[in-house]
Amino acid sequence: MDTVFAQALINGLLLGGVYAAYSAGFSLIFGVMGVVNLAHGELIMLGAFTSYWLFDFFNLDPYLSAPFAMFFLFVFGYLVQKYIINQVIGQPHIMSYILTFGLHLMVANIAIKMWTQDFRSITTTYSGANAAIWGLNIPYARLVTFIVALFVTWALWFFLMRTETGRAIRATAQDKEVARLMGVDIRNIYAITFGLGAAITGLSGSVMSPFVIISPEMGLEYTIIAFCVVVLGGMGYMPGALVGGLVLGVAQSLAATYLNAGVSVAITFVILFIMLIIRPTGILGKGSVA
Amino acid sequence: MNYRTDRIILIIFLLISTAVAFLPYFVQSEYLLRLITVVIFWIGIAGCWNMMSGYTGYIDFGPVVYFGIGSYVAAIAMTKYMVPFFPSLFLSGLISAVIAFFIGIPTLRLKGAYFAIATFAFAEAMKQISLEFDRTFKVSFFQGSDGITLPISGHDNSFFFYCILPVTFVVMLTHYFIEHSKFGYGLKAINEAETAAEISGVNTTANKLRAYATSAFFLGLYGAIEAYWITYITPSDVFNVQKTVQMVIMTLLGGMGTFLGPIVGATFLTLISESLGTRFVEYYLIMIGGIIIVTILILPSGIIGTLKIRKRLRFI
Amino acid sequence: MTGLECKEISMKFGALAAVQMVSFSLNPGEILGMIGPNGAGKTTLFNCIIGIHKPTFGKIYLNEINITGMKPHKICRMGLAKTSQIMEPFQAMTVFENVLVGALHGGGMKMGPAKKKTEKVIELVGLAEYAYKLSGSISVPARRRLELARALATGANILLLDENMAGLNPHEIDEALEILRKIRNSGKSLIVVEHIMRVVMGISDRIIVLNYGAKIAEGFPEEVVNDEAVIKAYLGEKLSSLKVA
Repeated sequence: MDTVFAQALINGLLLGGVYAAYSAGFSLIFGVMGVVNLAHGELIMLGAFTSYWLFDFFNLDPYLSAPFAMFFLFVFGYLVQKYIINQVIGQPHIMSYILTFGLHLMVANIAIKMWTQDFRSITTTYSGANAAIWGLNIPYARLVTFIVALFVTWALWFFLMRTETGRAIRATAQDKEVARLMGVDIRNIYAITFGLGAAITGLSGSVMSPFVIISPEMGLEYTIIAFCVVVLGGMGYMPGALVGGLVLGVAQSLAATYLNAGVSVAITFVILFIMLIIRPTGILGKGSVA
Repeated sequence: MNYRTDRIILIIFLLISTAVAFLPYFVQSEYLLRLITVVIFWIGIAGCWNMMSGYTGYIDFGPVVYFGIGSYVAAIAMTKYMVPFFPSLFLSGLISAVIAFFIGIPTLRLKGAYFAIATFAFAEAMKQISLEFDRTFKVSFFQGSDGITLPISGHDNSFFFYCILPVTFVVMLTHYFIEHSKFGYGLKAINEAETAAEISGVNTTANKLRAYATSAFFLGLYGAIEAYWITYITPSDVFNVQKTVQMVIMTLLGGMGTFLGPIVGATFLTLISESLGTRFVEYYLIMIGGIIIVTILILPSGIIGTLKIRKRLRFI
Repeated sequence: MTGLECKEISMKFGALAAVQMVSFSLNPGEILGMIGPNGAGKTTLFNCIIGIHKPTFGKIYLNEINITGMKPHKICRMGLAKTSQIMEPFQAMTVFENVLVGALHGGGMKMGPAKKKTEKVIELVGLAEYAYKLSGSISVPARRRLELARALATGANILLLDENMAGLNPHEIDEALEILRKIRNSGKSLIVVEHIMRVVMGISDRIIVLNYGAKIAEGFPEEVVNDEAVIKAYLGEKLSSLKVA
């Protein structure tokens, strides 16, 4: 195996890990509520900014500020669902898309108002550091994110399968009417689910902050990638974000290495389109359809 | 059946359209004429989206792709093949419609969020392809991010006013036709309950395709007109997702699946963005976000849709 | 022969065989009753005939034309219409417009004749007073009639009625039966799926019985009631005493 290919593969897997980390919450929210959250990228942005300001003011390492980002985003997500998105339960799905798009505009532009459009970054001692093994570079910060993605996928699976709240969430996702009859307070479950999705997304924003550019307008791009990742993996299928993230990451990295970076974006959308047509249930065929 | 309200609205619409057609003779201010043209332009574009998504309930998140295709067909026809404007215009609509037909066949089988995402993906893919095509295949066709400069038209605003007005007029008449025709009842039945429509004899695939391709045809026309008007296009401009967003929000605000919805929504939002957008740029987008949220929560059927329910008007 | 003929229809969903090798025919002007316990495969069988599902095995002929696997709208235009057990009116439309959709699309009529046809059908099923109400706002019995009207407006010669009288009180059932007789007398044939024995026994010329997806009996009403297999399927209860409304 030649070094260029191996490096492209490693870059792809690490990129895929990053994708998986920030797409899991998107998949959770869609899977349970059918809400395509167009403000998803803003959750990442808020997570990254939480770490940024804690770093700026208290010199707190992003990995240490991650729990704060999680907590803050959980509260934010919980309130958004409880007071805004819950209002359109039972209405056509377009209502939730448009509503979250409105949120995207508001959150992003209020953030611009508060923090300006400047690009920021967090420079830590390990920000540019790589591990060099057999002539291949592995950036530490991305490796950590990759591990976080694995952990998040596992933790989410564990939570949904083994806890009381997790069971209630799964029941609600399967049939909200029956869940309601069984005594599940579905509005509360929805709020918790959105909070949870927001929290793990905030976590990803936080652990990504050492190596990404942070700006109030960063969100939309991430939302779009999360779309692709989740469709590839199978919408609403939790481990799907990991599968989709890795596949997309490797595909993009190979395309960028052997063609050019612009083509890799084009390929992303072509893959997404073809995937939806021929296999809307995702690569593993375990996603839900409508 | 009592269609009287509808007839009255149609007559008012025809009268206003006729009156508007004479505006360039009376409006002296170039700014005002341009503003009026922009309003009519957006009414038509929002109408294109409404024609498909408003009536069938299939939420298209990539209508801008046909606008962009129209722009590029016109630009390439005029610069590379020296085709005059009006034939290029027609070609733009035609090619948009043909592409929509072939894209519609696989995508219109998808439901709900899947259709929305597929159309969105197609639009973004076209944008990226037109950006990267030349560099990848070492040709000079789409001219990537350099963009294409069209021949300077030398026409004034009133020329474009008279290009846009008839198209918007036809788009709105098509709405009226949809409201009162077999085709329109088919679309509305699809929106309400697709399986029930199918077993009642509605050829759902054909009806959806027809609506999708018609909407694409008109969007192609608008794309071509705008390209000729501003004389310079790039993929990032003509395939800009912001245009899709505008169409959706205008229609939603006015009322999806109604005749007056796009007119009210597009006029309202264009005027707001014109008056606020220049003076309070920074707050404009925050406010649009707020308007969207408030509309969805308080007027989920839009301004016209809510009136329809409150006043028990059957159609408008 | 004219009419509807099903040959060895089978429908599998994964490992579950919802319908197994069911054959029957429907003669012109006949009312065929179809009974069977819940989950016996009646609705699935209807959905196969009407084209919503493509049967995994078997053939369906309508007036000697093979319609197996055709799209529902084509089958509808060839003269086969169905009312659904789960009522699906086009809620934002008036009752009149609902029926109009059937006449325009299923009947392939132009607007003018379609409106006339719609008026007639609405009169026939007794919905005239609701004609201009939104279909989402009318009562369950009225919606049942609306389903029937929409199917009738398509001009179909064969109607499949899937529990079209569920949730009706005895008086409403009598009215509905009267309408069905009128429809039959106008030369149409019907397949009636119903849980209410009084309905099936009273109106059917012949009855077929399904259980676990298979046909277990066929014959005149009085034959079927006394059939061993049928009685067993209904847990030993005498059919005549079962679910009499």
